[in-house]
Amino acid sequence: MKADVHPRLRHVARNPRRPAGVAAARPAEAGPRQTQKAATRSRVLDAARDLFDTQGYQGTTIREIARHAGVSVGSVFTTFASKGEILSQVMEERLEALCAELDRVVPHLRGSTADRLRSMFAIHFAFEARRTKLFLSHIAAAYDWTLPPSAKPFGRTPRLRDVIHDILVKGVAEGDVDPSIDLLGAVELLVGAYGWSFRLAVTEGADAQAMTAAMDRQIGLIANGFRPR
Amino acid sequence: MKHISPNQVAGETAVKMPTRRALAKQQTRAKVLAAARRLFSESGYEGATIRDIAAAAGMSTGAVFANFTDKSDLFREIMGSDMAALAETMRDGAARGRGVEDALLKAFTAGYAFYKGQLPLARAAFSVSWAPQDGPVLRNAPQVNVLHELIVEQLTLGVQRGELSQEAEIKLRSQMLFDAYLSNYPQAIFEGWSLDALQARARDQIRILLAGARRG
Repeated sequence: MKADVHPRLRHVARNPRRPAGVAAARPAEAGPRQTQKAATRSRVLDAARDLFDTQGYQGTTIREIARHAGVSVGSVFTTFASKGEILSQVMEERLEALCAELDRVVPHLRGSTADRLRSMFAIHFAFEARRTKLFLSHIAAAYDWTLPPSAKPFGRTPRLRDVIHDILVKGVAEGDVDPSIDLLGAVELLVGAYGWSFRLAVTEGADAQAMTAAMDRQIGLIANGFRPR
Repeated sequence: MKHISPNQVAGETAVKMPTRRALAKQQTRAKVLAAARRLFSESGYEGATIRDIAAAAGMSTGAVFANFTDKSDLFREIMGSDMAALAETMRDGAARGRGVEDALLKAFTAGYAFYKGQLPLARAAFSVSWAPQDGPVLRNAPQVNVLHELIVEQLTLGVQRGELSQEAEIKLRSQMLFDAYLSNYPQAIFEGWSLDALQARARDQIRILLAGARRG
């Protein structure tokens, strides 16, 4: 494939935002074909991440992604079924990094359930705020007609819900969450509040700190509603 | 203020009777809107093109552009009229409620029932609402504000009746109630939740969101 010698490759290779693990993760003894496929894949994901983050989900096309990655449209389609799947993969790789941090921190969080929720979401905002438009793309993708069932846009990844649910369950055990409330309903309120907070990035140019502050107030209001009375 | 007699009003109306040309234009608009509504529901906002919409309406793309500046104009027009009808339905629901919690629940349930038959269109609207350019425009549309205002009104009434405390943080609370109302749509769209299930979920959420503002 000619795509390999495209000059764009050099640009991508020196892209500082490229995750360091990607190149290292390439199996050393894989055949040249696998190696090339893995290279195409990571180049496509890098280009897609930048494009979704600047142009949004609807504003980005597969053709553009291919051009920026320096590969042919055809070779994008040998690896990914659709735009939605590319974004899913981009977000999944990011989610792994975020989850690693959550796994490390969440078990050690102290304070009331509201405080633990605040700390947990602050980690989220700090992580996503550098690429708010990418996250908004992630949300917008949920409503894409052409999205394959395998894609996991915002709202269809169980990970965030599980973390929140665990914190609430712990709150019930510790006595500051009313055991009679609908925990799943409360989880949805928190997930919703989190998603909506990203609006502030668009409408008011809010940074991580401003979004965290807005989320803190919402958590306070929700926590006030689920404390035992 | 100038007094206007009923006769005068009738007279003015008579003068403003649409001409045949205006009537034809109105019919064209209605045809385009009906075709657009169907295609947005079938293929989503992104998937529906002006060309397809024109074809479905049985006219040229030029005729469509003579009436609407672009696709987003067309979509805003559809959402605008739907939202106005939705606001009225939700207001009727709220009026039947006893107390702030019940009024909000009845308003929300009326809203879910309104869209239950046209979830694909709701889905298209959510898709647009998260788009970088069209999103803020749709979310700040006057018709959307009317829905938000409706919740503010109910909370204000709750404070006046003494159900909610004076420090009810109405601005934040109404926004969160509206967000909660909207955030249950994905359950209806993607997981086929019944009206009963949506209502039960909304009830729990309204309860949680109001609990902190209850008096006593």
